[in-house]
Amino acid sequence: MASPQTRSHVTLWDPIVRITHWGSAGIVLTNALITKGGSVPHVYLGWGLMALLLLRLVWGGLGPRAARFSAFPPNPVAALRHLRDLVAGRVREYPSHNPAGALMVYAFWAMLALVVATGLVMTGGATPMQVARDKAAVESGDWSVLIKESDGESSGEDEEGFRDGAEEVHEVAANLLLFFAALHVGAVLLESRALRRSLVAPMLLGERRK
Amino acid sequence: MTAKLKSQGVGQRQTLTLSLFLLIQTVGMVFFVGDVISDFRENPASVHFVFEATVTAALILGILFGTVELRRMIELLQSQEQALEVARGALGDVIDRQFQNWGLTPAERDVGFLALKGLDVAEIAELRGAAQGTVRAQLTRIYSKAGVSGRAQFAAFFVEDLLGQGVA
Repeated sequence: MASPQTRSHVTLWDPIVRITHWGSAGIVLTNALITKGGSVPHVYLGWGLMALLLLRLVWGGLGPRAARFSAFPPNPVAALRHLRDLVAGRVREYPSHNPAGALMVYAFWAMLALVVATGLVMTGGATPMQVARDKAAVESGDWSVLIKESDGESSGEDEEGFRDGAEEVHEVAANLLLFFAALHVGAVLLESRALRRSLVAPMLLGERRK
Repeated sequence: MTAKLKSQGVGQRQTLTLSLFLLIQTVGMVFFVGDVISDFRENPASVHFVFEATVTAALILGILFGTVELRRMIELLQSQEQALEVARGALGDVIDRQFQNWGLTPAERDVGFLALKGLDVAEIAELRGAAQGTVRAQLTRIYSKAGVSGRAQFAAFFVEDLLGQGVA
């Protein structure tokens, strides 16, 4: 009979939050560690990541309460207070992300957007299908695609420098994403222990029961 | 209890299905938009571009509608669950009060609750670590204190209450 009370403030993540969370995590890891930068699968996954991010951001505006931005506004003061509570071992439950987690979420989104945007600059905004087509053409010995491409950027060195810059940012952002991910996993473990419940299960299964 | 779990399972499966559908639509939309943009760069006046841009716009609208619909479905499920929680708590209170009015001992109250939940004598005995004879005797005492003929009437007592008050 006591269970409804402990149960009621365990957040139930909806399917969109869960799908976009694990989808982005999977794509970031795969693209950072497995696929080769600039390869066709890398670009495909990048576009998939763009879709996931877009869906989650739309969901942040139109979705149910726990998923909406208004449920976890960025608030560094509250985040610090939460971290202090965590160190002291007395954390409380929040209806959505906790304040420190919320900052993490926004940092993730900013980096994901940056990684996607710089990736698009590096490929000149070409869809993965075009990238694949161009690659196939070059491989079959038709170099005209490359000529056309360098023709297109007739503004020359400016464009070139811009793309190089994008590449630098792309790499830094990707590394930051991995760093954030490690931080995030560590925080989830700490928080799970402090709250004496698994934070992973609701994100995996949307499970509400203890 | 099982009916509630089942209906929730159906609702959850529906939201998951709609979510996956939305995901596929969004992925498709992103690729379409990319294609439309590169078509636009090539020849904005072509029929191909106009047609594809229209289809993409329709897709985007569909995603927005789907999003709102999914949100509504999730919120409906949540409010149903909350209503159920409240009703469950209210029914628990009613039962508690009635048990007190009947002057049931704490042990009898426990057994009464389990009997209302539909457990049979053997199950109650096992749960409470008591002999079946004890449980049977407790049930008989509960029935006599409540002034009912047996288990069916005992359970009906509370259901009748609910129906009488028109609680849905």
